[in-house]
Amino acid sequence: MDLDKALAISASGMQAQSTRLRVIAENLANQDTTGGKPGADPYRRKTVTFADQIDRSTGGPQVVAKRIDTDKSAFPQRYDPSHPAANADGYVSTPNVNSFVEVMDMREAQRSYSANLQVMQVTRSLLTRAIEILK
Amino acid sequence: MVETSSIGLFALADKRLQWLGARQGVLAENVANADTPGWKSRDLKPFSAVLAQSMSGQRLDLASVPTQTNTMHMAGTLSGENGAQQLRDERAPDGNEVSLDKELEKIAQTDTDHETVTAIYHKYIGMFKEALGR
Repeated sequence: MDLDKALAISASGMQAQSTRLRVIAENLANQDTTGGKPGADPYRRKTVTFADQIDRSTGGPQVVAKRIDTDKSAFPQRYDPSHPAANADGYVSTPNVNSFVEVMDMREAQRSYSANLQVMQVTRSLLTRAIEILK
Repeated sequence: MVETSSIGLFALADKRLQWLGARQGVLAENVANADTPGWKSRDLKPFSAVLAQSMSGQRLDLASVPTQTNTMHMAGTLSGENGAQQLRDERAPDGNEVSLDKELEKIAQTDTDHETVTAIYHKYIGMFKEALGR
């Protein structure tokens, strides 16, 4: 049934967006996580890529957060010789997390999540109405 | 016992509901893939085209076709007719072409149409009940 499939797709979309939110939370939480030893790498920002695939159990299409990659951009350097992670020149590598970018991503994830939720509600009302024909 | 599908209006309502259900599935897919790189927005053939096809004795064919995103693009040759053609002006750098507001608008339209059809169905059944004196 198409409507059941529509519900499943929306649900998978919401799940994918939750994964994205989780990764964003991880990035934000670690935006000050530097390395422990001198010259060590700090936390590297993670990114999520979505993909469509066929759900093996239902045969219907669905969306998944396919890959969680790392952002390859360079770490910003900060001069702080007293820091435990400072290298020989006194510079500390800080995480390549930009909180503005993360917050924008968070907003987008939130919007997409509620769009999926809205579709789900409409699908549900379609189903309910179809059932009401029986009455 | 009367076979309801042999009565014109019921048969029509049946086809329409089937089409609306299938469309809801396609639109839900578009919304769920609003952040999937390279995802092209899809839609069903307009109901009038599907209906004309089924009137000429063919099965109800609800195969979805990609939406033509630009009038300069060549129309597909696979489906015979063109799908719902629409100009899309937005395309994200990752190749995603879903516009959430357009999709949600279509879903609202589907919802309204579904409500209309079920209401007509109800009324028609009511007429039959009236005629039967129940």
